[in-house]
Amino acid sequence: MNTTVVESWIEAPLRQFVDDAGVHLALLLHPSGHVLAQHGFTRSVDVMSACALAAGIHATSVALGRLVDDRPFGGLHHAGRVRQIFIAEARSPRGAYIFLTVFGHESSLGLVRLYFDELVAGLAAAAPPDGPAPAPALAEHFERDLNRNLAVLFGRA
Amino acid sequence: MMASPFAGMLQTLSRQRGVTAALVVSEQDGIVIDGNLHIGLAEDRVAALAASLYRKARLSARAAGMGAVSFMQLEAPVGRICAVGSGELVLVVVAKTAVNVGMVRVEMLRAISELAVIARGAER
Repeated sequence: MNTTVVESWIEAPLRQFVDDAGVHLALLLHPSGHVLAQHGFTRSVDVMSACALAAGIHATSVALGRLVDDRPFGGLHHAGRVRQIFIAEARSPRGAYIFLTVFGHESSLGLVRLYFDELVAGLAAAAPPDGPAPAPALAEHFERDLNRNLAVLFGRA
Repeated sequence: MMASPFAGMLQTLSRQRGVTAALVVSEQDGIVIDGNLHIGLAEDRVAALAASLYRKARLSARAAGMGAVSFMQLEAPVGRICAVGSGELVLVVVAKTAVNVGMVRVEMLRAISELAVIARGAER
């Protein structure tokens, strides 16, 4: 399974997370839905769909958390029959990202949460020291930027 | 706040000389259900890793045709981790090297049968 990234500083912490936690899939994206790194996906269309859904789920859970607890929920976990999903916000000096991972019986929620904390610390340590990254445009350039990132991840750039 | 059904059992284990933590953990999720531990121990970290270790030991024993794991002990330079399981639950004890392992083992095996009864009661 391969790990590919749009920005090189993300690669080492993400690979470490995947190795340690033993997850099947991992995705790091901007809250707008722009993909920054992936592990385990084989088709760009799946990444695009997962990013759109993860961004939507994250936005919903943030709003719901504010509604019922006056603050966004820290993470979201869904256990399926065979696979489980964990989605959480990963804060870094470059800004806040959304992290989504899919894992099976060989891992556990406890391990994923444990290594997610280490991933966040790894991203903070590896982030380039030139301040927050500019947020992707949400209007006319959104699709162009999304396609560019997918092309980088799947070797078509 | 109401004490959990595991509180008494965990207190008994924690009173053993050299025991620094006693935790009831979900084997599947690696999440702490209840715990009694000394300050400075990373409860979530220990629980997630110990439950994963116990599950792998259990699966390895089964794959090797050795039957069920009754007691698992990990020895490290400055301490020990002991685990016993019952159904979905794992009882984990973290102790100093000098702990009386025999005594801890007896207490843990006694506790695990109690754990099974509590877990069955909670299911009803």
